[in-house]
Amino acid sequence: MAPAGMLEIDKVTRRFGELTAVSEATLAIPGGQMVGIIGRSGAGKSTLLRMVNRLIEPTTGRVAFDGRDITQLRGRRLHSWRASAAMIFQQFNLVPRLDVLTNVLVGRLNRIPTTRALLKLFTARERALAIGALDRLGIADLALKRADTLSGGQQQRVAIARALMQEPRILLADEPIASLDPMNAKLVMDALRDINRRDGITVLCNLHTLDTARAYCDRIVGMAQGRIVFDGAPEALDEATVRAIYGTADRALDERITSTSIGAAALPAFARA
Amino acid sequence: MLAGFFPPDLSLSYLAALTVPLMQTISMAAGGMLIACLIGLPLAMFVGAQVRGARLAYGLLSGLRAIPDLTLAILCVVVVGIGPAAGMLALAIFYAAMIGKVFADLFLAADWRPIEALRSVGATRLMVAFYGLLPMTLTNLVSMGCYSFECAVRAAVIVGAVGGGGLGAELVGTINAFDYGRATTLIILLVIVVSALDSLSWLLRRHPRAVLLLIPLGLAALWANWPETLALRHAATTIGGMFPPALPLPALQALPRLLLETAFIAGAGTLLAAVLAVPLGLLAARNLVPAPVAMATRMLLEVLRAVPEVIWGLVLVTLVGVGPIAGVVALGLHSVGVLGKLYAEACENVRRAPVQALEATGARRLAVACYAILPLASAPVAIHTLFRLEWNLRAASVVGMIGAGGIGQALYNAQQLFFYDQMMAYVLITWAIVLLADALSDWTRRRLGWATVIA
Repeated sequence: MAPAGMLEIDKVTRRFGELTAVSEATLAIPGGQMVGIIGRSGAGKSTLLRMVNRLIEPTTGRVAFDGRDITQLRGRRLHSWRASAAMIFQQFNLVPRLDVLTNVLVGRLNRIPTTRALLKLFTARERALAIGALDRLGIADLALKRADTLSGGQQQRVAIARALMQEPRILLADEPIASLDPMNAKLVMDALRDINRRDGITVLCNLHTLDTARAYCDRIVGMAQGRIVFDGAPEALDEATVRAIYGTADRALDERITSTSIGAAALPAFARA
Repeated sequence: MLAGFFPPDLSLSYLAALTVPLMQTISMAAGGMLIACLIGLPLAMFVGAQVRGARLAYGLLSGLRAIPDLTLAILCVVVVGIGPAAGMLALAIFYAAMIGKVFADLFLAADWRPIEALRSVGATRLMVAFYGLLPMTLTNLVSMGCYSFECAVRAAVIVGAVGGGGLGAELVGTINAFDYGRATTLIILLVIVVSALDSLSWLLRRHPRAVLLLIPLGLAALWANWPETLALRHAATTIGGMFPPALPLPALQALPRLLLETAFIAGAGTLLAAVLAVPLGLLAARNLVPAPVAMATRMLLEVLRAVPEVIWGLVLVTLVGVGPIAGVVALGLHSVGVLGKLYAEACENVRRAPVQALEATGARRLAVACYAILPLASAPVAIHTLFRLEWNLRAASVVGMIGAGGIGQALYNAQQLFFYDQMMAYVLITWAIVLLADALSDWTRRRLGWATVIA
């Protein structure tokens, strides 16, 4: 019997025509870990995450949670699974014309009956939960603004509040800071770590920057050309492995070139002067 | 003969008498659009949510939309009987298909990323449509809806001409009674109504919520136009009489000539329009001529455009007699209005830099026009003209129904003589022509990599 909250990805492959986006990926992630998946764009990170939420179907292989095969779920059960595997996206993906509060309440859609959803009748408790989620991320004052009037960092925090409303078991974050400036990137990563530590929710986070992964994650998974080429603690990640992941075999790799964090090393010389 | 159309009958008694047909036309459009929205919007959402069967539904919508509105009107008149109920039903079917397809296209073109996020939270397809598709496309839905309503009012006039009541029936009546002055009055009224609708849709676009006010109007219209008695048995026998569709040998032998005549009406009408639209378009371009000239030309184009082909056809049949020439001129006049405006915009939208470079050499206005503006505007002009040709191929197949030649005339004759099996055969042939024209222009567009232009 697998321990509680265990996510097992077993020889999962996804092909798009000729292209094999993910090839025989196998991972076992116990509940409560914070895992960073690193690799160049096109390495298959996004496809892997989407297969866990079932936005993309695996071509072969199997994904299981708590010992239950989730690749076979259909209909209502599939929707419930999606609700418990919340996603946040690089482009935030809020509905632009809706206000912030509604965008957060959307995270509750799986739990409320269709008629109530179509009439937009949310209970006082649901609204309070949504405000609470926004408050936790420090943006409760934005609740009644239209989502498309917010800055990128604010939008991503709204997206995290939406994910919290799902009361998920796992949080899948697909390049959550790739479209943000360093200050907002830190805010968002801190929020993800807080959710992981305080709520014990497993976080799987695609990152293309190595130093962020090192700073925040208990465990790092490296992907290259659809394959998992590294799986271990951040300390175990040596230069040769980094080269294999980022494919810079013949050049010395400076970790700082993949950086977006606010370390002094990441800033250009003129900014430090 | 032409002199008979002037002066228009502007007597108070006649204008007062026109309120009834005017209300009838507007209520046909409003009631038809309400039904169309009730059917078209859910269908579009069904397609937009990309559930199983969505492709099939989309195909059905495209197919249904290809039946010309006037053809539908004749079918409805035959089944429901003469009067606004038939017109309303025809408009409801035509615009349900149109709204369904156009809205589905908007939904399919919506940003997929928020949609993906909504799917990822475990929402059902219906909820995704409601929380994602609708709010994201609302502005476009309203403006396309307004545009459809404008088209529906114009269409309500022309379906009236084949037995749907309202202004169209009044127009046919006045022409049959040689009351040409009154015909002119009706055309002026139509121009006024169309431009009033233009301002209304401008207002609605700024206040999308006001669209809800149209619902009670539509309901009232439905109630007013509801057929008093539904002769179901009569309708069933009539529809039964249409099947199987068949053409007797002489009609079959005449078919190639009819098809050629229809193609001739479309081609010659477009050519006539293009030739006239070049000078008129230049005279309407604000960057080429003094403002008053451009304004005056624009107004002339606006009037030509506001009157649908079928209405021009009704007038021309009295002037030049029944036959394809009336069709050519009718299509030509309406298309001049459309093309002239588009040509003028093509001239106004050219890139400034090359024009300024030529002006900097000290070239005169005419030289600048010849060497910079016209060459730059020629590509959009060609695109608009080809689109118009496609449109006119559809128009040519229906304009015949009021006596302007081609296959439409054969269809109308069959209906008048109660040869419903022949009528149905012509309906199917007309439908095939439109589908073919659609497919051809789709193919051309893809081959040349042209973006869609909504004329």
